[in-house]
Amino acid sequence: MLRKIVSILAGLGLWHFLATVVVNDTTLLVSPIVVVKTAYQMLFVTGELYPHLFASSWIFFYGFALAIVVGVPLGFVMALNAAVRDYVNPWMATLYTTPRIAFAPVLLLWFGIGAGSKVAIVFLGCIFPILINSYYGMRTVDREYVELARSFRLGRWSLFFKILLPASVPFVLAGIRLAIGRGLTGVAIAEWFGATEGLGYLIFFAGQTLNIPTLFVGVAVFAALGIVAFEVVRRVEIYATPWRKTSAGG
Amino acid sequence: MEKNQRGGIGMGGPVLELRNLAKEIVRPGTSPFVIFQNINLTVRDGEFVSIVGPSGCGKTTMLRVINGLMPASGGDILIDGKSARQLDHELVMGFVFQGASLLPWRTSLKNVLLGIEGKKEPGKKAEHTARRYLDLVGLSGFENHYPHELSGGMQQRVNLARALAVDPRILLMDEPFAALDAQTRNFMQLELLRIWRETKKTVIFVTHMISEAILLSDRVIVFSHRPGTIRSEFHVPLARPRTMEVKADPRFLELETTIWKQIEEEVNASGGFAKM
Repeated sequence: MLRKIVSILAGLGLWHFLATVVVNDTTLLVSPIVVVKTAYQMLFVTGELYPHLFASSWIFFYGFALAIVVGVPLGFVMALNAAVRDYVNPWMATLYTTPRIAFAPVLLLWFGIGAGSKVAIVFLGCIFPILINSYYGMRTVDREYVELARSFRLGRWSLFFKILLPASVPFVLAGIRLAIGRGLTGVAIAEWFGATEGLGYLIFFAGQTLNIPTLFVGVAVFAALGIVAFEVVRRVEIYATPWRKTSAGG
Repeated sequence: MEKNQRGGIGMGGPVLELRNLAKEIVRPGTSPFVIFQNINLTVRDGEFVSIVGPSGCGKTTMLRVINGLMPASGGDILIDGKSARQLDHELVMGFVFQGASLLPWRTSLKNVLLGIEGKKEPGKKAEHTARRYLDLVGLSGFENHYPHELSGGMQQRVNLARALAVDPRILLMDEPFAALDAQTRNFMQLELLRIWRETKKTVIFVTHMISEAILLSDRVIVFSHRPGTIRSEFHVPLARPRTMEVKADPRFLELETTIWKQIEEEVNASGGFAKM
C-alpha cells in the first residue's frame, strides 16, 4: 500500500514539474492542481459535469450489461454444442479482430445519434472478451471434474450446474473484467461521433477548444469510472469465488 | 461360508465378476491398440484386492472401464450377477481418483455431498451421512474447509469419504496415495485398513507399490506388460488386523520379492524400463 501511494505521489509530482517548469504552456499541459481545481468547480460549483457523467455511465452500463446477458450464455452454448460453435466461430473471429471504430459510423446510421448507437458500440466492445472467456472457461473445465460427475452418475443438468458452471466462473469474471476497459473505450468512441453530451463529448469538445483543464477532468473521470467498475467486479469475484486463495487483482 | 486368511471372517459370494474383459482403441488405418485383454477376475464380498503391474499395463484403464468412465471393447462386467450396463443408472461404485479431484469451490462437506446429491436423498439426511463419513476418515472439524486449505493427505481423506458416502457396493481406488510423501502414505495405508475394517467394503486397489498392495490386500493380482492381462495372483497369508510390523514378516518379504521378480520380467519382456 505504501509503495502504491509513493508511486502515485511521485507520478503526480513529475506531472506537476513537467507542466509548470518544462512545458509551461497551459494550452498543452496543465498541472494536476489545476485539474483538481477545475474538477471541483465542475462538480460542486457549476455542476456541469453531472449530465456528462450520467450520460456516459448509463451508456456504459446498458452496453456492458447487455454484453454479459448475451455473451455469457452464448459462450456456454458454444462450449457445449459443436454445431453452435461452428456457426458462431467465423463471425466471432472476424468481428473480434475488426477495429470497432470502423463500425461506429455505420451503427450511427442504423441506430441514429441517440443512445441506441452508443449502447451498440459499447456492446460490441464488451461482448468479445466476455463471450470468448465464457467459451474457453467452459471448454477447458478439468477433465477430472467431468469424470467425477460421470463417476457419481450425475445427470446433464447436475453436470452443468454443479461442475461446469462453477468451474467457469473465474474465467467469466476475468472476461467481464477485460470488458470494462473495452467498454469505456467504446463510450469514448461513441461520444466522439455526433454526441451532444457525455464524457467522450466533453473531452472531444475541450480538445477542440484547447480547454486543457476540462479535457483532463474528462479523462480523470473516465479513469475513475474504470476504477469503480473494477472494484465492483472484484467484490463480485470475492463473493462468488470464496474458495480462491487470493482474489485476483486484490 | 468359507474360512479364509481374514481371521476367520466369512466372506460372501462374488460381488464383481469380470469375464474376458478387454479394451482396445481403434486406430484408423492400422491395427487396434490393445490396452488389456482376457481379464477374468472374481472379487468376493468384503474382499480387498490389489492390482500391480508395470507402468502402462492397463490397470488404471481397467479400473476406469469397470467404473463406466469408458466402455469395454469386449467381455462382461457383472455386479452381483447383473450386467453393469443394466445397472449403470444406479450408483454401485465409489471411485477414489489418483489426484484428490476435489471441487475447489466446495468445502469438504459439500465435496462429500456431491455423490449423495446424485442419489436424491433429502438434504438433512444427506448432510448427516456426509458428516458421518468425514468423521470416519478423521476429518471432523474440517467440514467447512476448502480443498486448498487441506494437506494432500487430508484431501485424499475427503476423496475417500466422498466415495464411501454413496455406500457403494464396490470401492475402486486408483493409486490414491501416489502423490503423497512416504510418511503420509504410511499413515494413510493404516487409515485405509481401519476404514475398510469398519465399513467392510469390497475394494479394488490399483497401485505401483508392491509393499502397499501386500500390506492392504487379501489378494494381489499381477498384470503383465501391455496388452495387459492377469499374469498371476497371490493370496496374502498374513493375519489381520495388520500393522506396519507385518512388513518385517518373512512371508511378507518373500511375497514382495516374488512379485517384484515377476514385474521385472514383464518390464524386460516389454523391451526394458527405458522404453516404457
